[in-house]
Amino acid sequence: MKPMGLALRFLWRDIRAGELTLLFLALLIAVSCSTAITLFSSRLQRTVTDQAAEFMAADMVITSHATLEDDWLKQANKLNLDQSQTAEFSSVLMEHDEMLLAGVKAVSDRYPLRGYLKTTDSDYASETNAYHGPQPGQAWVEKRILSALKLKLGDTVTVGEKALIINKIITYEPDKQGDLYSLSPRVMIHQDDLPQTGIIQPGSHVHYFYQFRGEQGQLSAFKPWIKPKLNPTQRIMDIHEDRPEVGSALNRAERYLGLSSIVVIIISGVAIAMAARRYAERHLDATAIMRCLGSKQNDVLALFFSQFLILGLITSLIGCGVGWLVQALLFDLLRNLLPQTIANPGWLAIVFGLLTGMTVLIGFALPPLLQLKRVSPARVLRRDLTPMPASAWLVYGLAISIVAGLIWRYTQDLKMTLTIFGGGFVLLIILDLLVYGLLKLAQRALHLMSINWRFGLQGLIRNKRATISQILAFTITLVAMTLSFTVHHDLIDNWQRQLPENAPNHFALNIFPDQIEAIKADFTANNINGSLFFPIIRGRLTEINGQAVQKIVSKKSQGESATHRELSLTYTENLPEDNLIADGVWWTDNKPGLVSVEQKLTESLKIKLGDRLQFVIGGQPLTATVSSIRFLRWETMKPNFYMIFSPGTLEAFPGTYLTSFYLPENNKLYLNQLIKKYPAMTILEVDLILKQFKTIVAQLTEAINYLLYFALLAGFTVLFAAIHATLDNRIYESALLRTFGANRSLLHLTHVIEFFTLGLVSGLLAVIFAEALLFVLHVKVLGMDYQLTTYLWFTLPVIAACAVGLAGCWGVNRVINTPPLRVLRES
Amino acid sequence: MEINEIMHTNNTLNTVSPEHSNVIIVTENLGKSAPTANGQLVILENINLRINAGESVAVTGESGSGKSTLISLLAGLDTLTSGVITVNGLSLTGMNEDGRAELRNRMVGFVFQSFQLMQGLTALENVMLPLELRGDNKARTTAEAFLRRVGLAERLNHTPRQLSGGEQQRVALARAFVTQPALLFADEPTGNLDGSTGAKIIDLLFELNQESKTTLILVTHDPALAQRCQRTIRLSAGKIV
Repeated sequence: MKPMGLALRFLWRDIRAGELTLLFLALLIAVSCSTAITLFSSRLQRTVTDQAAEFMAADMVITSHATLEDDWLKQANKLNLDQSQTAEFSSVLMEHDEMLLAGVKAVSDRYPLRGYLKTTDSDYASETNAYHGPQPGQAWVEKRILSALKLKLGDTVTVGEKALIINKIITYEPDKQGDLYSLSPRVMIHQDDLPQTGIIQPGSHVHYFYQFRGEQGQLSAFKPWIKPKLNPTQRIMDIHEDRPEVGSALNRAERYLGLSSIVVIIISGVAIAMAARRYAERHLDATAIMRCLGSKQNDVLALFFSQFLILGLITSLIGCGVGWLVQALLFDLLRNLLPQTIANPGWLAIVFGLLTGMTVLIGFALPPLLQLKRVSPARVLRRDLTPMPASAWLVYGLAISIVAGLIWRYTQDLKMTLTIFGGGFVLLIILDLLVYGLLKLAQRALHLMSINWRFGLQGLIRNKRATISQILAFTITLVAMTLSFTVHHDLIDNWQRQLPENAPNHFALNIFPDQIEAIKADFTANNINGSLFFPIIRGRLTEINGQAVQKIVSKKSQGESATHRELSLTYTENLPEDNLIADGVWWTDNKPGLVSVEQKLTESLKIKLGDRLQFVIGGQPLTATVSSIRFLRWETMKPNFYMIFSPGTLEAFPGTYLTSFYLPENNKLYLNQLIKKYPAMTILEVDLILKQFKTIVAQLTEAINYLLYFALLAGFTVLFAAIHATLDNRIYESALLRTFGANRSLLHLTHVIEFFTLGLVSGLLAVIFAEALLFVLHVKVLGMDYQLTTYLWFTLPVIAACAVGLAGCWGVNRVINTPPLRVLRES
Repeated sequence: MEINEIMHTNNTLNTVSPEHSNVIIVTENLGKSAPTANGQLVILENINLRINAGESVAVTGESGSGKSTLISLLAGLDTLTSGVITVNGLSLTGMNEDGRAELRNRMVGFVFQSFQLMQGLTALENVMLPLELRGDNKARTTAEAFLRRVGLAERLNHTPRQLSGGEQQRVALARAFVTQPALLFADEPTGNLDGSTGAKIIDLLFELNQESKTTLILVTHDPALAQRCQRTIRLSAGKIV
């Protein structure tokens, strides 16, 4: 026997006979969805990461207090990484008898590598995007510089010893650093003018930023090479570590997209299993004939397995094509939201689609095929000789292993994988027993029911095994869809909560204590919604329990970064909004000498309750005892502090105040009034950062909405396919009933009862298990409170009953309109 | 043709001795039973047979007498509970399932009451199947010739659903004879056909059997049909009577 040739011929015959249509459709949906989602999410992630990289104006940045070694830059050149450099420092500008501390930034020709600057020629008139900085001899400044120093466009400004012509106003700078409290208005100059300013002398306080741009592979080669060479004052920044607000939105989106894929794969896997079972059942006779004609057991298995492999490969290839088209369509639908340039699709996603297709096919279709191997040739004489179905352990075990593998692949999270894996396994066993119990119960109550109900329920009770697997399939599908829907909602709600409307979008810094009342009055007069005023005292953490902090901290940690710069220290009587006490207690008696520390910093610096921290503030030491540890969300864009002291601790040190307020975009000119009135005040326009962040969140939300619709669509399509896979017996039995004289309305009602009950039970079980899983997910994995989703208890069973009912009735409708003899003959 | 029935013999015949070289099937104390809720159900008991090559044998008996079980054992479709079966000198008793499959492919042809054609395949493809299973490169030509022989030259590409019962059984006959088997088992071949179609099929069966000198073992309820065979074995309650 030539197995491959014969398999091809059989495959063609089965395709022609329509035996593989369901399997093909189910697999096509699985591969199309997973490929589309993988391609879509990887392209979206890359696009969003690229866009997020604009926040740093590069893919990777090295910060340093001194210039980097030439060798390092040569190595970056060798790896074909694009490079640019900026140097930032503070300098006092003096013009027209006015003085202003400005943040000077000298940029190289290629800056910015990612994103663009926005400039304007007059007051907030039409902005233009600039993909380079000023030319030598030019200076671009923030508008506040002009008003504070009584300058206008075309005037010269002297930076150090170099006079430069102001030819643009900067309105947006992609990589404005997040150190919100030390920002001064910007003056941007060309790198070549830097030496002539004469400002940079040995020992000057300058921050150098070396930006790099390249493919992920090039960056991955460069990062580990350079990391060990960095000294303690040098640091690598990348998007996940250094823009937490963007990083966390991205991480959640990546996770959700991955889990959506799994949902679709599980749903499709269920359909593949059902279609394969139907295929095996419909091939029992054919297999018996082949066995009778001399095919060996392994030949039979090889024959069907090769057919499935060929089918899997062809379908997966088509699925990859369809997936590619779908993601292209999704990007087209989202084109108004996304940046102009979308990252190219990666070929790995296609390979992954192919692998997923083959894995899912084998995982879900192999057990029914194994049943074919055991068909007795004597079945040609006695049709009742049906081989035992594959062991439940094999069926569920294989499928769960495949799903667990995929979950691991998508989440890279062992805890989540084990939770879902273990939960899924226990859930299957409990479901199995529950459905069996329900069917037994219904069996006992049958004699009390009318003929319609009896016939309808008997359809379910007669073949308990088949009914259990159908209910399991529908329940798993519904649970998967519910989880997908609920998590989707939680995710978006969470993002929305992070970015409430009218949230403060400007920070005012350097407010002197005697200005507070006047500013408050000013805000009220102008209908501006301001928040609390926080005192800011700059200080450095030096010791923990008498030990130098540099010795405790591990490199590249958050703590390491915090110990290298002055921190903004504050004191307050009340716990700030959005802060939660993770350990210890918030002070109630205002005892001085206490400090509350941010949770992540305590982990990084190994700080515990009761530890004594020493700070140096303006050259003066200060010791405080840790009385509480706070959890806070950095991504809220509200004033957040690592260290908050109890009242009475810091008052003796000179400091300024900080507040935040909401200013609508059309009221921007109010900023000029403010600066004029309070010249020392620094305004930080967080709305620009927020705007960019909101755009990213909006894109992710839209994309995820589309993916959810896609998953739901796939779920329903597969649901129909799965019901269709179980119709053979029902059609046959209905035809028999018709030959005995059952009228159409009786049959209609019987089918309605049977399928609606099937859907209702699946919906009820699904809601119970979805709630249980959501509880575990919220409480154990996400560490959040959980409340029952009340509306699910009504909607899910009703939707399930209607969906399964309509699909089922539609499927068996054929029998009502076809002469029963024909159905019986075809069977 | 010589008919040999050995009842209650003590001889053990695992292989055919030279003096019995034309004997194709020998059974000794053949038994088959199956477990049921009420204990072991005996289906066949002490069946001793000797069938010569080229012989035609009818197996008759009432429903449930064990006819189908007997031919499924003789054809190597099922395993026996006790005793010995030897086909063409090879003992089926010690043969595994793959060995029996090989034997069926090389030596055995089948015709069934319910035709047992593969529904997705055309008439031609159904007849090609056993040849394809043995890797025959000329499967198509040979199958076409046999279908022409059974009068279905115009129906090569029709699927079983497009054929009448009689035509389906002709396809089954072509499939059974296409491999030139040494043994042909026919289980109620006219059971699903009307009288006149059935008679035509039986004529064709015996013609083909004559041409290919196949040993025919035919299960039937029909005494007239049984009479067309050279010998009749009658079963009752699992025993030869």
